[in-house]
Amino acid sequence: MPQGDYIELHRKRYGYRPDHFERKRKKEARLVHKRSETAQKALGIKGKMFAKKRYAEKALMKKTLAMHEESSTRRKVDDDVHEGAVPAYLLDRDNTTRAKILNNTIKQKRKEKAGKWEVPLPKVRPVAEDERCLKFLDLENARVTKQWKRMVTKATFVGPGFTRKPPKYERFIRPSGLRFTKAHVTHPELKCTFNLEIIGVKKNPNGQMYTSLGVLTKGTIIEVNVSELGLVTPAGKVVWGKYAQVTNNPENDGCVNAVLLV
Amino acid sequence: MVQYNFKKMTVVPNGKDFIDIILSRTQRQTPTVVHKGYAISSLRSFYMRKVKYTQQNFHEKLSTIIDEFPRLDDIHPFYGDLLHVLYNKDHYKLALGQINTARNLIGKISKDYVKLLKYGDSLYRCKCLKVAALGRMCTVIKRIGPSLAYLEQIRQHMARLPSIDPNTRTVLICGYPNVGKSSFINKITRADVDVQPYAFTTKSLFVGHTDYKYLRYQVIDTPGILDRPFEDRNIIEMCSITALAHLRAAVLFFLDISGSCGYSIAQQAALFHSIKSLFMNKPLIIVCNKTDLQPLEGISEEDKKLVTEMKAEAMKTVIGQGGEASNDEGVLLTMSTLTEEGVIAVKNAACERLLNQRVELKMKSKKINDCLNLFHVAMPKPRDNKERPPCIPQVVLESKAKQAAEKEKRNTEKDLENDNGGAGVYSASLKKNYILANDEWKEDVMPEILDGHNVYDFVDPDILHRLAELEREEGYQQADAGDDNFEMEGLELTPEEQNTLAEIRKKKSLLIQQHRIKKSTAESRPTVPRKFDKDREFTTKRMGRQLSKLGLDPTKAINRARSRSVSTRGRKRERSLDRDDTDGGDAMDVDTPNKKQRMLSRSRSRSRSRPPTEVVPGEGFKDSAQKAKALQKANKSNKMRNKNARRGEADRVIPTLKPKHLFSGKRSIGKTQRR
Repeated sequence: MPQGDYIELHRKRYGYRPDHFERKRKKEARLVHKRSETAQKALGIKGKMFAKKRYAEKALMKKTLAMHEESSTRRKVDDDVHEGAVPAYLLDRDNTTRAKILNNTIKQKRKEKAGKWEVPLPKVRPVAEDERCLKFLDLENARVTKQWKRMVTKATFVGPGFTRKPPKYERFIRPSGLRFTKAHVTHPELKCTFNLEIIGVKKNPNGQMYTSLGVLTKGTIIEVNVSELGLVTPAGKVVWGKYAQVTNNPENDGCVNAVLLV
Repeated sequence: MVQYNFKKMTVVPNGKDFIDIILSRTQRQTPTVVHKGYAISSLRSFYMRKVKYTQQNFHEKLSTIIDEFPRLDDIHPFYGDLLHVLYNKDHYKLALGQINTARNLIGKISKDYVKLLKYGDSLYRCKCLKVAALGRMCTVIKRIGPSLAYLEQIRQHMARLPSIDPNTRTVLICGYPNVGKSSFINKITRADVDVQPYAFTTKSLFVGHTDYKYLRYQVIDTPGILDRPFEDRNIIEMCSITALAHLRAAVLFFLDISGSCGYSIAQQAALFHSIKSLFMNKPLIIVCNKTDLQPLEGISEEDKKLVTEMKAEAMKTVIGQGGEASNDEGVLLTMSTLTEEGVIAVKNAACERLLNQRVELKMKSKKINDCLNLFHVAMPKPRDNKERPPCIPQVVLESKAKQAAEKEKRNTEKDLENDNGGAGVYSASLKKNYILANDEWKEDVMPEILDGHNVYDFVDPDILHRLAELEREEGYQQADAGDDNFEMEGLELTPEEQNTLAEIRKKKSLLIQQHRIKKSTAESRPTVPRKFDKDREFTTKRMGRQLSKLGLDPTKAINRARSRSVSTRGRKRERSLDRDDTDGGDAMDVDTPNKKQRMLSRSRSRSRSRPPTEVVPGEGFKDSAQKAKALQKANKSNKMRNKNARRGEADRVIPTLKPKHLFSGKRSIGKTQRR
């Protein structure tokens, strides 16, 4: 029974097979063909996965190539040249530089990335009450469409001190399975995310009723408890409540994502 | 009894593979077709099933990892410490802990999302929730990727650990680097450890097996140890220390007395004294190696003193185990692995002392009483001085004595063979032990029996005489024939006679031809089968009437027809040679007996079977006739229909070679054969 590093030991004693390196070289050379064959043959989910992986590899390769190439492309120099520093016969030429474009793209990218978090969601699509949010308890029966009791089918926030009304007067039912108490809040400047407690729903752009019900939809402004973050006001007081805007559809994702409004 | 075999742990896939395995299994094993129009409850259950199934698979896979990796606190302390030295206990525990946490997290995620799915009110929402659930599970796994990679590395390394049984008989070899430990294990076992002339060639524990007194001993080769504080020792040295500390083994401390390993005897002695606490309660032998370079007698006085000190120390272990102080053999031994001098002596001494110690320990243990009382022989105390020998009847004694005498006297076949020229020359008589009425018959020739007859009965004693007679007769006849030929040759035919001969021959051939034509036409003449003769027109009676109308005597024709009828002659098969038992014994004698006669000569071994045509009544039928009819009907219904040369499935078929649907239109993915 082999023990220890038996392969290394064998190689040390008897060396590699005479054709080891030749085989290795050939295997590597054939690898391309083999991969292309699998790419052509793979069907279904496997094909998709393979294509995605390959695409990622290729994209990465192209990017690195482009990066190396950009250093050799020439760009115009923006800054002015002192008069008389260039001889007259060279005046009509443009001075060029190489690494400029790289810097620009990086800047652009950073801007984009930062911008992702900068603005609270600009557009809010209004949703009809009957269509989206509220569901009558028994949809099969036409009689009950005009019923008193309605169930909220969106994610909601219900405060900790909430007590149910007597069932007779209870018009909207917020099912406990769809209640959320915590939100993943991203701080746009720190660029990190915290799991913070929700204090309340400040404003739901879909309507007053949504706000009062505590429905969490995309674009809702919520108040979160930021005492964990240790933020301080200019006056030196510790901030514990801050507004944040919901950036996802909680009922579809099963969690509340929000961005802190600073 | 726990087996320490780490070779069978399942492979730990890395994070990416893990996710691929689980997700593709979900895709394959759960239903995939769903439509908007389905009832909402079935939509929900469709997606819930996916989420739950994925979670179950994650749970199963992670659980196997957690279960299969040994828990360091539960296994033998030797393995516990060895694994700690090699892989760092904290890191190991942390990795397994992370796996456990991931398992719990995934369980929680699945629970949450299944709960949310219960409120899903559309396919889209359910699908979104499923995607989110699976995504979060995968993220959890992605996060424990480094732990999985670490565990996989450990698994691979553990598979290569030598399979050491910590509880069996073990001989442990230790000492400074390069003193000849690996050469020794190579000499006494088949371990095939690498031996090189530099320090730390052996970097891990190696195990080999050897035999002593029909028992198997496990020999462990350890890496060299340097004499330095415990904290400074590296992983390689710590392997040795772990083995020394935890294995109850016979320890061989190797001492290079020539100093060619680069360390003086003084240094080696210092190491011995610093680790001697590890030798407690173990049989210890100090082995002076490399005596081919430097015999033990030749070393300097100081070194000798050091060696004797070590010997005294080793003696303590002997005394500690209840040995005698004066018995110092097998404590200090010399050998040379190069010349193989003393190698076996060292092995034997180590095994012997280990065995003694183990036996002693067993004797001391509590369990031994359970075994010992099985070995106990009761010896009652004598109450007086009277002799009470066992009582054996005189007859028995006599017969015993007789048997003993017989046993001595008996001459075996082997003895006979040796007396009469040995194997190959002497051939044993198989007949001499026959039990017969008369001893003289033993050597008689055995008659050979064929078909109940003795072969000798068929032998004609004067057959040669008869042959000679026959040949003589033949000779006479041939001589006569020769005379005739001679006369024929001399015969001359006149042209007239020749013409007549030609005429005769012509006529003969013509006759033959005519006969043949007649015969052939007679055969091919359409005969009306009996079954088509519905009106029973073609009868012998009618033939007789017609013939007599023509004025001929019909009796002969009628007789002939009757004689040829099937009913009297029997069927063709029945007319065959061996059924024909009319020809008796007068044709030829026994040389070609026909089948029937042969059958008769053989003894009857079984009763004659029922002929296939015979039908036994039963199974609800009134009589055999009814049953036969039923059988016939059944057979008829089973009979294949005559398809009158129409096409059937057994016919050769040339399929459509170029089916249109495969060769026309746009080509999407797939093959020409199958799309």
